Amino acid sequence: MIGIVSYGSYIPRCRIPIADIARAWKKDAKEVVHSLGLTDKSVPAFDEDAATIAIESALSCFAPFHGDPTDIDVLFVGSESHPYAVNPTSTIVGELLGLGNAYLAADLEFACKAGTAAMQAIAGLVAAGHAKYGLAIGADTAQGKPHDFLEYTAAAGGAAFLLGSDHVAARLLADTSYSSDTPDFWRRDGMRYPSHAGRFTGEPAYYSHVMGAASRLFEMTGTTAADYDYCIFHMPNGKFPREVAKRLGFSREQLEPSLLVDHIGNAYSATTMLALSAVLDIARAGQKIFMVSYGSGAGSDAFVWETTSELNKIQQVREKKTLRVSDAISKKTYVDYIQFLKLTHKL
Amino acid sequence: MKIFVNGAATTQFGELWGVSPRSLARGSVSSALKDARIESAQVEALFVGNMLSGMLGGQEHLGAFFAEELGLPVPAFKVEGACASGGLALHNAVNSLLSGQYATVVVLGIEKMTDHKPEDVATALMGAGSEEERNAGATFPGLYAILARMHMNEFGTTEEQLAAVAVKNHYHASLNPNAQFHNLLTVEQVMRSSRVADPLKLLDCSPISDGAAAVVLSTKNIKGSVEVAASVVATDTLGLAQRAHLTQLTATQRAAEKAYRIAGLTAGQVSVAEVHDCFTVAEVLAMEDLGFFPRGKAAAAIEKGETRLGTSAGIVVNPSGGLKGCGHPVGATGVKQVVELVDQLRGSAGKRQVENATIGLAHNVGGSGATAVVHILKK
Amino acid sequence: MSEEAGQPLLYIFLKNNMQSPVKIWRNQKNIASLVGKTGKILSWTIVRVPPGDFTDQAPYPVVLVELESGKRVTCQLVDYDDAHLTFGQRVVTIIRRVTHPDPDGVIPYGIKAKPLV
Repeated sequence: MIGIVSYGSYIPRCRIPIADIARAWKKDAKEVVHSLGLTDKSVPAFDEDAATIAIESALSCFAPFHGDPTDIDVLFVGSESHPYAVNPTSTIVGELLGLGNAYLAADLEFACKAGTAAMQAIAGLVAAGHAKYGLAIGADTAQGKPHDFLEYTAAAGGAAFLLGSDHVAARLLADTSYSSDTPDFWRRDGMRYPSHAGRFTGEPAYYSHVMGAASRLFEMTGTTAADYDYCIFHMPNGKFPREVAKRLGFSREQLEPSLLVDHIGNAYSATTMLALSAVLDIARAGQKIFMVSYGSGAGSDAFVWETTSELNKIQQVREKKTLRVSDAISKKTYVDYIQFLKLTHKL
Repeated sequence: MKIFVNGAATTQFGELWGVSPRSLARGSVSSALKDARIESAQVEALFVGNMLSGMLGGQEHLGAFFAEELGLPVPAFKVEGACASGGLALHNAVNSLLSGQYATVVVLGIEKMTDHKPEDVATALMGAGSEEERNAGATFPGLYAILARMHMNEFGTTEEQLAAVAVKNHYHASLNPNAQFHNLLTVEQVMRSSRVADPLKLLDCSPISDGAAAVVLSTKNIKGSVEVAASVVATDTLGLAQRAHLTQLTATQRAAEKAYRIAGLTAGQVSVAEVHDCFTVAEVLAMEDLGFFPRGKAAAAIEKGETRLGTSAGIVVNPSGGLKGCGHPVGATGVKQVVELVDQLRGSAGKRQVENATIGLAHNVGGSGATAVVHILKK
Repeated sequence: MSEEAGQPLLYIFLKNNMQSPVKIWRNQKNIASLVGKTGKILSWTIVRVPPGDFTDQAPYPVVLVELESGKRVTCQLVDYDDAHLTFGQRVVTIIRRVTHPDPDGVIPYGIKAKPLV
């Protein structure tokens, strides 16, 4: 049985209140906060990027892991903000983590679902006996154009999942994916900021793909929302995940532990994976998790996880070393809009 | 065999916009030769101390460059050891005489720093430290600030006491026509100056300067000569992280110990010293490393005026104004220190004259203490 | 004195020297061996007048750290509060960008330290 052997997470220290961004542009702060449904977003340090965040996430993942990093046979890094257009983030990360040379490295890109695509692909390699351990990392320092509505939500963070078949803390019971060519959000080569199609990013994009993948997964497993303890949906803002959870029949209690977006915004490739980390941090053995990511362009990866008693050992290490998602969320320092522009290299 | 300084001269030190390196060299060397009463034809070798000609000016190969410029078609060498370049050039010149290879040589210490933006100069000066320090963005003041903080923590040295070093050296510089600064400072002014690398402030730091100094060294004791009683170099690790001690510059200590031994002297017998005050804290460390004061006690003594012109306490330090007051054209400093001591020992230092100066000590440091050069001069 | 297309000489020197891809590659093992190590602050400064490459980061603290192995390193301190600049503060080494790279250069990653809270 394959699944999650260990996991790690990282959220940069700085935050900016959405209200402050709104005020900088002389918008009605209360109205903006209400319509987007989140309070703060995370801001990377001046010297952080997707590679450094990926490394922090992986080191966090190694903390509870008793094996040897050189036994990792595959490393995929998914991001929408890879530091280079051509030069793999995965080998920078692999080299500085001391993985040796005997591993498959590749970078994935698919808007906010690059990391979960990595998880699905690696699950396949492990299940086929092609890899003993595989590390999937989602890491981003997402950028929004100043004054664009994405500026309120584009955030930074990372999460890493080590998949394997022994000492599995969360078994992968089923997974599927739903893909189509839907141009809701894109960035052309050489352009600094992404563009998007406004309200088109809602129903035809986010909702249709998340619900498409979710329906397929319910069908494959013969389950409904009631069969799960937790659900996780990609969070481009505070409204979409709450709405899609409702449509699929999930309750607020099932969704609540995953709603990081309220505190840190949308960390793109890391969002769904960070949410999974947050849920795993509090889940008990034998609980089932329904998880659906979304990446513009567009597609959704969906997974069913079932926790085991191994999970408790990981939780204890993460709690002792203050590596939990809740620790990272509370370790915060606020910056103002000018500092935010400096930190995100706009000044 | 004894080594003598026969002639010595410096140029003006300061922001010399209109003066080229060639002009600085010609001016100082011709004055030194005149002071020694010799012709250029008698010069057998040329040693040039300089740090930044390559990085800032794109010109290496300074031995050949200045040999040509000075009309001295003799063996010529550039010697580099960061801010100890001048002292190292002197040491190499002394060795060349001791070896019997040459009988009369010229040493030129020279630096042109004001042609470039201060941040470019700061970056180039970081070449004196380790790569790890460069990658950390540890500027030269930053490294000495780290040392200052340790000294303050260990011995209770205060920022006001550091400021007193700058005040004293500006007073001395005001009596030195060649010095970069002639204004007097107060402790309050130093304390109020803007922070460069906490706890060091702008007026704790020596300036960026242009200037040159030259001496004629030989084995001949002609009239007006001063004897080089010792010339010693010691080396420590490049970066602070690899040092064994962080409240002293061990290289200075070792060079001084050996120099005293060779010269048959003790620290207490030194009448006047020119030490390497690239930052105020560096002078405090030097006082202790050279054995002039017990460890931890120098700052208070300086604050009380015990090393100031006119003191009866025993030793006057940096009568030229030091690096802070006279200026610090990096490669020139080590040679300028010897020029000042020659004036002092000859009794020709005018308003800066230290009474009964018989033994002089010059202390020149490279980087944050990786190289230390100590020269002892005797009348 | 030659200058490439109007670029000052020092810029060329530093660009080729500090961010040489070959040097960066040779130093990877040193960096990898130093990451994730805990230690304590021996001394520090705050650089307020930065050199050219660090202008957009100033002011920043530079710390001298003694790692548990006994090895000492000099590096920047990041993600800190003023209260962390104190003798003996426990820190851990992490990977960050050393400087903001040229638009067309190799990105230099290196060791910095952050306080352990």
